[in-house]
Amino acid sequence: MKIIGLEDQEVEASLRSAGLGLSVSEARSVAEALGRDPTIPELFNYDTMWSEHCSYKSSRATLKEFLCTSGPNVVQGPEEDAGIVAIDDEWCVVIAHESHNHPSQILPNEGAATGIGGIVRDVNCMGAKVVATADPLRFGDPYGGDRNHVRWVAEGVVDGIWQYGNALGVPIIAGDVVFDGSFDTNCLVNVVAIGVVRRGEIIKSRAPAGAGEGGYDVIVVGKPTDSSGFGGVTFASEQLREEDEEANRGAIQIPDPFLKNVLFKANEALFKLTREEGITIGFKDLGGGGFTCASSEMGASAGYGMDLDLDLLHKVSDGLPPEVVACAETQERFMLICPPEVTERALKIYNEDWDLPNVYEGARASVVGKVTTNGRYITRYRGEVTCDVPIRHLTGGIRYQREERPRMTSFEEPAIATPEDLTDALLKVLGSPNVSSREHIYRYYDTEVQGNAVIRPGEADAGLIAPVRGKKFGIALSVDANPFYGRISPYWAGATAVAEAMRNVAAIGATPATLTDCLNFGNPEKPEAFWEFRECVRGLADAAKALWLKGYEDTPVPIVSGNVSFYNESPEGTVDPSPIIACVGLIDDVRDAVTMDLKRAGDPIYLIGPRFDELGGSEYYRTVWRATGRNVPVVRFDLERSMIYAAIDSIAEKNVVAAHDISNGGLAATAAEMALVGRGDLGIDLDLDAAGSDLPADRLIFSESSGFLLECKAGSEEDLERILKGYGLEIMRLGEVTGSRELRMTHHGKTVLRVDLETAKKAWTGGLGEAMR
Amino acid sequence: MKIAVVQFPGTNCEHETLVAARSAGLSGEIFRWNRPAEELSSFDGYIIPGGFSYQDRLRAGAIASKEPVMDALREEAEEGKPIIGICNGFQILVEAGLLPGLGGVDAALASNVMVSKGEIVRRGFYCAWTTLRHEAPPRRCSGSFLLEVGELVRMPLAHAEGNLVTVDPDLMARLNEDHQVVFRYCNEAGEVDPEYPVNINGSLENVAGICNPEGNVLGMMPHPERSSFAWQLQPTDPGKSVGDMEAPGPGRRIFESMKRYIEVRR
Repeated sequence: MKIIGLEDQEVEASLRSAGLGLSVSEARSVAEALGRDPTIPELFNYDTMWSEHCSYKSSRATLKEFLCTSGPNVVQGPEEDAGIVAIDDEWCVVIAHESHNHPSQILPNEGAATGIGGIVRDVNCMGAKVVATADPLRFGDPYGGDRNHVRWVAEGVVDGIWQYGNALGVPIIAGDVVFDGSFDTNCLVNVVAIGVVRRGEIIKSRAPAGAGEGGYDVIVVGKPTDSSGFGGVTFASEQLREEDEEANRGAIQIPDPFLKNVLFKANEALFKLTREEGITIGFKDLGGGGFTCASSEMGASAGYGMDLDLDLLHKVSDGLPPEVVACAETQERFMLICPPEVTERALKIYNEDWDLPNVYEGARASVVGKVTTNGRYITRYRGEVTCDVPIRHLTGGIRYQREERPRMTSFEEPAIATPEDLTDALLKVLGSPNVSSREHIYRYYDTEVQGNAVIRPGEADAGLIAPVRGKKFGIALSVDANPFYGRISPYWAGATAVAEAMRNVAAIGATPATLTDCLNFGNPEKPEAFWEFRECVRGLADAAKALWLKGYEDTPVPIVSGNVSFYNESPEGTVDPSPIIACVGLIDDVRDAVTMDLKRAGDPIYLIGPRFDELGGSEYYRTVWRATGRNVPVVRFDLERSMIYAAIDSIAEKNVVAAHDISNGGLAATAAEMALVGRGDLGIDLDLDAAGSDLPADRLIFSESSGFLLECKAGSEEDLERILKGYGLEIMRLGEVTGSRELRMTHHGKTVLRVDLETAKKAWTGGLGEAMR
Repeated sequence: MKIAVVQFPGTNCEHETLVAARSAGLSGEIFRWNRPAEELSSFDGYIIPGGFSYQDRLRAGAIASKEPVMDALREEAEEGKPIIGICNGFQILVEAGLLPGLGGVDAALASNVMVSKGEIVRRGFYCAWTTLRHEAPPRRCSGSFLLEVGELVRMPLAHAEGNLVTVDPDLMARLNEDHQVVFRYCNEAGEVDPEYPVNINGSLENVAGICNPEGNVLGMMPHPERSSFAWQLQPTDPGKSVGDMEAPGPGRRIFESMKRYIEVRR
């Protein structure tokens, strides 16, 4: 394409008519580096590699400035497809976290399914067995003006997730769902996957040492390349506009969990072969940016070049243009780099043992080229060199220093009168689609496949699996972020998301080991959106630093994986700042974990965490008073750390038999849920005066200040109180478990809330199903 | 006693099924569908585990039922060797005509339809724990050889197509009379309520598992391999925290039955 010597508007016109997203200055810098006009396939390669999605051009500096990605338990930081932390001397947990927002808004089923499909590849290609996923979801207002479309998106996304995950055979063990109008035209579909791998068997997604000198083969495995997903990363790096909808559909990938299931087993056979023979391979998934991204990054990160022949790649048709072959995001593909003497055996595993060509039309493993030492990224097609560029220039990307400016907001606390009776308010809160039981969704998920489930969705604040047979350790997983806090204060949204995700795993007795962040924001070219992004990152980083990795003083909980998703914006508006955090917790023996359901009448209930006037963004304000408020919950770092540690210790010492963290809906919703998730024959009786607060009753029970409710085993009160005091926490014995099948709260001697569990259950179980019907 | 866990493209429960079988004292291996089918004859029994063989193309189990390994399994079944099909394995055995084993393809596992008070309240995939009531006499069926009549067993299920249907109006009477109904969905007290949520997928007469007339072939929708260890149980189950990591869960009885059946048959 002619660039050199043309005027800016002429270059602009050529770029747009070719369907490229590169800016004029970006195109000029490519031409300058090459010393000539680039070819069209070269420009598409740059377009892909320099997209926000692949290069983090707006976000990288901020992430580097704030986030701590290392730690005593970190085996692999965020440089690879997935992060890894140690479980013990032998086993590690692998985690990756991404968004698939734009595709899910356009084609919900396929978009969400390929989200799961992509994230499990990221974990598997590290040599790991994928053992669980989680799905944080944000949908629009199911009762607003766009309700039909919102419900179509929500239903399609849930269907896409279960259809993919169940067929693949990976259980979904955690997730959350929030509905709000800010997601009407931009849903958020985040996906988390975790896997397990032995420390000595981790595979890197780069060409192994000696690959260039040894002429290692480059092999592509899986589905035949087609045009699906072409332009996917560029589309993910722009705002959604309705008039582009038809074109954008073509940028969405097509999922196939069946082929993935077979590929995973063939990969396992390959990993076994290379382990047994002590051969180091490079292995990477083909995800965003397709063949170009995988091959160039695998070469560049090892300091090598690549010489690749696109004619050798298996494709659905020979008629595809070179840039489509290179940049399409056809799903269910991997790239393998191995010594030539292994190649035949590797091909046999895929093409004969697992019979890919007969299992799926056109699928196979093909050798497509060699690793070189010349530092060039060369592709050939139909006898011509279609791309010949310095590989590090291609993968190096570019950086932008975006401008930031605080978003001006004027949130005020609403003037409200405390109702005499809070029963109705509680029923409204319990029935809200954001608080009510998630059962309507998780019954679609095969939470049991692999047979590792210990604690399932709906049973506690985090899911728990025992992923290695013969071992007692468990991996807990939870996800969190509250968009309503984000709207008021992006900084505290980041900090509270970290604190809540950690509280969730602590509530089952697991110790937080690592965090991941998927940062969902609007257009970073707008200073307000970029400011929100920076504030969130600062907040979550501060919390990770201040809450410490348990057992290591002053050491941050490491953030080993993550993703930035900008441009979640349309002409109708932008999403609320959504720094979605996942937390992996570890427990030595899964049989020591506790759930949230009440266990026995007569057990005392303790509150940890004093109540503050923090109802900004709360479910109570939103649902009962139609207000947002201003006073978001903040994280008091030392207090928060003490609460989390106290919960973990008291569960480990078996003083606590049920625990639930306080978040959406405040302590009232927490207490109600503890009574509602079990067999339904135990109630709770609380005297709010024991909370030692001068807040009015409604603020006291609906404040979303962080904390826990703990059911103490009767007779262990002294032991529990000793632990709480040891961490400097106030002793607040609020009441007890009763056999009366009702919830009751008194304040200053008066009953302020009383409801039978049947009524409460009806409200709580109906909310989500109605919102998604 | 060596069993083969037969693996088709799309199977996804083979590993935990083999682990569960081993916990009951069986030995065995995973048998890939395209291995020479004659190698199957060296095994004493067979399990077809859950999953989505061939992506449920056409119907769940339809393609796998036409594979050469299924012809080999049919021959082994005629020899009297035990075969247990779990979830997709049940679907495959029905599509292959091995169940109910009356000479043709007499039934099907159709899409779940949850009915309560005359209304369809839900459809499609469903994952939950359920109680099964053992209906057959002891020693009637390979996979429930050790169970008494009326014994209750807890285990999870997870499927979209587990609703047993037939066009033959006399089929259920024949199955009942010949004790080919092995398990029914019931509540925790053992009562068989024909409505959701007890009848969890709309199956005829709450049928959760059936065997062939000879009793050596069993198909069941719920997953015994997911309740073969005490720690796999639901938190509200008092048995969950009893014993060590090897302590048995109720599902192990299925694999222990298979083992006993093989021993007795010898």
